Order: sequence, then structure tokens, then C-alpha cells
Amino acid sequence: MLLTSVILILQETLEAALLFSILAVITLQVGGRPRNWLPWGLLAGGLLAWVYALNLRRISEWFDYVGQEVVNAALQLGIAFAIVLLAVWLGRRAAKKETAPAPGRRVFGFLCAATVALAITREGSEILVFLGGFLAAQNSVQALLTGSGIGFGIGVSVGFLLFYGLLALADNTRTPGRVLPLVLLALFGGNMFAQAAVQLMQADWLAAGPALWDSSAWLSEQSVTGRLLYALIGYESNPSATHVTAYLAGALAVPAAFYAGRRSRR
Amino acid sequence: MMKTTSRRNRTVSRLAAASLASVLLAGPVFAATPVIEIEIRDHLFFPAEVQVPADTKVKLLVRNLDPTPEEFESYELNREKVISGNSQAVIFIGPLPPGTYPFFGEFNPKTAQGLVRVE
Repeated sequence: MLLTSVILILQETLEAALLFSILAVITLQVGGRPRNWLPWGLLAGGLLAWVYALNLRRISEWFDYVGQEVVNAALQLGIAFAIVLLAVWLGRRAAKKETAPAPGRRVFGFLCAATVALAITREGSEILVFLGGFLAAQNSVQALLTGSGIGFGIGVSVGFLLFYGLLALADNTRTPGRVLPLVLLALFGGNMFAQAAVQLMQADWLAAGPALWDSSAWLSEQSVTGRLLYALIGYESNPSATHVTAYLAGALAVPAAFYAGRRSRR
Repeated sequence: MMKTTSRRNRTVSRLAAASLASVLLAGPVFAATPVIEIEIRDHLFFPAEVQVPADTKVKLLVRNLDPTPEEFESYELNREKVISGNSQAVIFIGPLPPGTYPFFGEFNPKTAQGLVRVE
């Protein structure tokens, strides 16, 4: 139970930490303050995750027992959509070459908070169901809590490393470092879009196809590197054509939205 | 009055058409999707190995008889789903090429291990 909870909590924390880091670095790049949106995102996400976890049984029964997939897909599509809107905002700001006025910043902050809230809802509800279910069982409470604490601790530490690493690279005057946060945001958006497609295939709302390739022998999803890459960029060793298409579409939508936003301002 | 009646008639005929259509459509669809039942008891899958026809979409009906939740997960099948204690879940898999596809319970990975054999 100890190792199980370490791995489980670490995975969910890592994915959330990556998103926070990317958004926080982008916020600093545009002269904003992450503390203006992060607490609201965490609070709203925590509340929604709690409501979702409490009602999971009922939600799972929706749509002939695929309610969970539909809700998860909706949350992931919401994240991908918010990321595209953020890219439009960043494009518009890049065109102006000056600091954004206060109302524009509020839109930016709202989009960041919404992205964080939706991510926490999905990841957090899974943690809450796990903890809630096994704390009630009362046979391994200590191992459960210790493991969760360790997993959370490692996840947060890696999150800070990511944040400061990314910030150092983004502070660089050279272009590759500066656009890295936006590239990572695009990959995150692509991953969310692809995950939503997988959920809909699991629910049989979207036709499932054969795997396009199988790289599990080369890099297993169960290996540490595989898990890390899954959390960071959505690595999948045997994706279907729909999965890959959704990933590319979601990822390419971000630069497309950025340039559309920049052109609209010229 | 006339209006109400004709509207009601239209509703009835629409309902009839809809139910006829659903029977016609749903019949073959349900027949074509085999249902495979798996139970979770004491953090174990029963049966631990299920056979599935190749290139066919299959509906897994997983009943969790434990009071604790479980997460059905498979890297090979690209599936993951949380199943609350004392509840059931539906997971669609396939169409798949022949092979073996392990799955496990992420909340109890030491004991909850299973395999989908596609033939």
C-alpha cells in the first residue's frame, strides 16, 4: 500500500505540477503574478474534485455507465480549449509589444485559473476516491498516509525544479529558451485533446482503431522514463490513429491560435 | 382542440417510429458487441483471464464487489477507469489484433492482475 500510494499520488501531482510551472513561467514572462490566479485555481479545483469524487458512483452510471469517461473528456477538452484561448491572448499581447492593460490581465488570470481548476478536478478526484476508499477500510492507514505524503512531496519538489529550470531557460534572451514554455503548453494541450479522444473511445462514443505503432519494447510506459514522459508530454507506446491525430491537432492549435491572435492585432 | 389532438398524434407516431428505429438499430448493435463480465473480489479479478475474439469490439462489464474502490488500468489496452466500491463499470475495448493484453488494479497492483487473451 505504501509504494502504491507513492506512485499514484506522484503521478497525479507531477502532471499538475508541470501545468502550474508552465503557466507560472508564462505569467512571469508577460509581467504578471502567478499568485493572482493560482490560489483561485487550486481552490475551485479542490472543491470541484471533492464534488466529483463524492458523486463518482452516480456520475459513472450516466449514459449507460460511461458517465465518468464523458465527464473526464469534457474536463480535458475544457483544458485544451482554455490553453488555445491563452495562446490567442499571448499572440495579441506579442503584437502590441507593450504591457497589457488591467482588463486583459484579468482575462489571462481567469484562463490560467480555469485551466488549473479543471486539471485539479480530474487528477484530484482520483486521489480523493483512492484516499477516501482506503482510509475507510482502516487496515493500512499509516502506510497510505506516509506513501501519499512521500508521493506528494516528490511531486511538489520536481514541480519546483521544473519551474525554476523552465524559468532559467525562459529568461534566456535567445529564442528557443523563451518559447519553450509555449511549446510545452502546446504539448500539454495536445495531450489533453488526445486523452479526451481516448476517453471517448473507451466509452464507445468514438470509433476505436488499431494501434499505429508499438514502441513498448523500445520504451515501456511502465518504466520510470516512460511514466515520466507520459506525465510530461503524454507518451503512449501504442497509440491509435485517432489518438495521434487528436494529439497533433491539439498541439498545433496552440501555435495557430498564437499567430491568429498576433495577426488580429496588426 | 384539433391542434392538440394532431400534435398528440404526431408525438405518438414519432414515438412509434423512434422505438421501431431503436429496435432495428439496437438489435444488431447489441448482438455484435459481446459482453464479458469480470468481478473484483478481495482485490482480485475473477476470472483473471478472459478470452476475446480478434478484431471485435467487446464490452467489459466489471463488477467491484469489494467495499473499496479500484482502478482498472491497462497500458496495452490504453484503458483506465476508477470503479467505486460495490458498483459496476462498463469499459469498451477493441477491435484488437490477436495477442495478450495484461490489465491490473492500480489501487492494488500486487494482487489485482488480469489478462485479456485475443484470439
